[in-house]
Amino acid sequence: MTGDAWWSATKKASLYLVLCIVTLTVCFPLIWALSTSLKPKSEIFATPPTLIPHSTTLENYEALLGGRQQYYQSGGASQAMGPTPAQFFTRWFVNSVIVTLGSTLISIVVSTLAAYSLTRFRYWGRSVIPYFSLLGYMMPSIIFVFPLFLMMVRLELTDNLLSLVFGYVCITLPFCMWLMWAFMRSIPIEIEEAALIDGASRYQVFAQVVLPTALPGIIAASIFSIIVSWNDYLFGRVFINSLDNLTLTVGVMLFFEGTHVDWGLLMAASVLMTVPMAILFMALQRHLVAGFGAGAVKG
Amino acid sequence: MSRFSFLSSDRAVGLLFIAPFVVTALVFMVYPIAEAIRMAFFNYNPLRPDLVSYAGMSNFEFIFSDPLFWSSFGQGTVWTLLSILFQTVFGVGIALLLHRKLFGMAIFRGMLLFPYIVPTVVIALIWRWIFNPEIGVVNYGLLSVGLIGEPIYWLSTPTMAMASTIMLNVWKYTPFVVICVLARLQSVPLELYDAAKVDGAGAFRRFLDVTLPQLREVLIVVIVFRTIWTFNKFEEIYLLTKGGPGTSTFNLAVYSFEQSMASLRLGVGAATGVVMMIMLMIGSVVYLRVAGFGNEEKEA
Repeated sequence: MTGDAWWSATKKASLYLVLCIVTLTVCFPLIWALSTSLKPKSEIFATPPTLIPHSTTLENYEALLGGRQQYYQSGGASQAMGPTPAQFFTRWFVNSVIVTLGSTLISIVVSTLAAYSLTRFRYWGRSVIPYFSLLGYMMPSIIFVFPLFLMMVRLELTDNLLSLVFGYVCITLPFCMWLMWAFMRSIPIEIEEAALIDGASRYQVFAQVVLPTALPGIIAASIFSIIVSWNDYLFGRVFINSLDNLTLTVGVMLFFEGTHVDWGLLMAASVLMTVPMAILFMALQRHLVAGFGAGAVKG
Repeated sequence: MSRFSFLSSDRAVGLLFIAPFVVTALVFMVYPIAEAIRMAFFNYNPLRPDLVSYAGMSNFEFIFSDPLFWSSFGQGTVWTLLSILFQTVFGVGIALLLHRKLFGMAIFRGMLLFPYIVPTVVIALIWRWIFNPEIGVVNYGLLSVGLIGEPIYWLSTPTMAMASTIMLNVWKYTPFVVICVLARLQSVPLELYDAAKVDGAGAFRRFLDVTLPQLREVLIVVIVFRTIWTFNKFEEIYLLTKGGPGTSTFNLAVYSFEQSMASLRLGVGAATGVVMMIMLMIGSVVYLRVAGFGNEEKEA
C-alpha cells in the first residue's frame, strides 16, 4: 500500500469513528429509554445498570396496550388505587391520532386552496397574506391558548376533541400556508395554461394538473403539521379536563402522579409515542428536508 | 348572473379558494391575538367570567414591578443565548461531518436528525429518567469514571436544572441547524476549495476562509429564527422542571402560564404575552432586514 492510500484509509476510518461516537452520544437517551422499557422491574434499578437487558420482557407494553388496572409496587405485589394511567393509554393514543389528523387535514386543505389562489389570481392583499402567515408562525402558542380557551368555553367545546383540532389549526395553518405558497410559486404556470387552452375548466386544471405537481409540498407540509400537533402539550393541558378526552402528551405526564413512578412503564409509553413519528420520518425523510429548504418549519 | 358563470369566472374562483383561509385565519389567528391584547387591559378571572373589569395599565404595572417577571426575563435570556450558542456550534460541526459522500451516510444523517421529531414530552420523560440523581444512568456513568465524587442533583439545584433544560433544548433542535447548514453546504461551489488548496490553505484555514463566509447568510437567518422561537418556548422548560426548583428556570412563557393557570390572573398572563409579542416583532424586523439585505447582495 502506498503512503497516500494508507493515509486516506486512516482518514476515512477516523471519520467513521468520529461519526459513530457522535451518533451514539446523540442517540444514547433513546437507546437507553428503549432498553429500560424492555427490562423487568428487578433489572431497571440494577447496579451496575445494563444497556442490553439480561432478560427482556414485554410486560410494560402489555400493561399499556392491554390497559392494566393496577399499580405495581416495587416488591412486585399489585394493589388497586383507582384509575391508572395505563388503563387510558390506548384511548389517549386514539385521541391524539384523531386530533392530529383532523387538524392536519383542515390546515392542508385550506392552505393548498389559498396558496393556489394567491399565486394564480390578482386581488388586493395577495402579497400581504404570506407575510402575515410568516408572522403567525413566529407566534408562540402561549399567546393563543387562553383567548382560544375562552372562545371554546363560549362555544361549549371545552373538554371536546374538536377544541384541540381548532387549537392545532391555529398553530399549523400559518406555516402550512407559508410552505404551500412557496411551493406553488415554484410551479410553472405554462402547464396549466396549456390545459386551459385545451378546454379544461379551472377546477379540472386544479384537480388534475396542479394537485399532483404540488404533492411533494403537500406531503412536506403534512409532516410538519403532524409533528407539531402530535408534540403539543399546552393546548391539551388547558382545553381538556376529563381523563377520557386527554391526548397522549398530557395523559402520559399524569404517570408522575401517585406515590411511585414506574419507569419501565413510562419508557414504554415514550417509545410507543415516538414510533408513529419514527415511521413517518423514515418513510418521508426526503420530503422533510425539502420542507426545510422551503423555509417552512416550526420548532 | 347564473350560478355557472359565477363559478367559472376566474376572479370568483380565486376568491372562492382564498375564502376558507381568510375565515379560518380571522377566527383562529387574528381574533385570538386581538383578544390577547384586549385581555391585557382587563382583570380577568377564568372562574368568574362575570367579573371582568377594565384594568387600564395595571396589568403592565404589575408585571414590571414583579421581581419574578424580571428574573424570568433574565433566565429566559440566559437560556436562549446558551441554547443558541450550543445549537449553532454543534449544528455546524455535525453538518460538516455529514457533508461527505461516504458509504452509510444516509443512516448517520437519519439518526442525527431524529431528535427533531421526538415529542418534547418524551424527551422530558427520558431526561428525568437518565438525569435522576439516585438511579439515573448519567450520574452512574460520571461517578464510575470518577468525573464526579458525589451525585449531581440535575433537576433540583437551580444551576443544574438550567443546564438540564438547555441540554434538552440543544438536543432537540440542533438537527434544525444541521439541516439548514447542510442544505447550504451542498451549494458551495467546489472550485472555491480547489483554489484555496492551490494557495496552500490547510483544512482549518479552508473552513475559516471559504466555508464560514458562505454560511454567514444562512447562519444569521437560522440564529434569528431560533432566537425568536427559543425565547418563547414553554414546553421544553415546563415539562422538565415546571420552572423549578422554585422559580429558577422560569422564562416569560412559563411566567405567563403560571400567572394565568395557577394564579388565575389571565390579564397579567396576557400582558406578559403582549410584551413577548413586542419583542417578537422587533426580532421579525431584524429578520426582514437581514433577509432583505441578503437579497440585495444576491441581486448585485
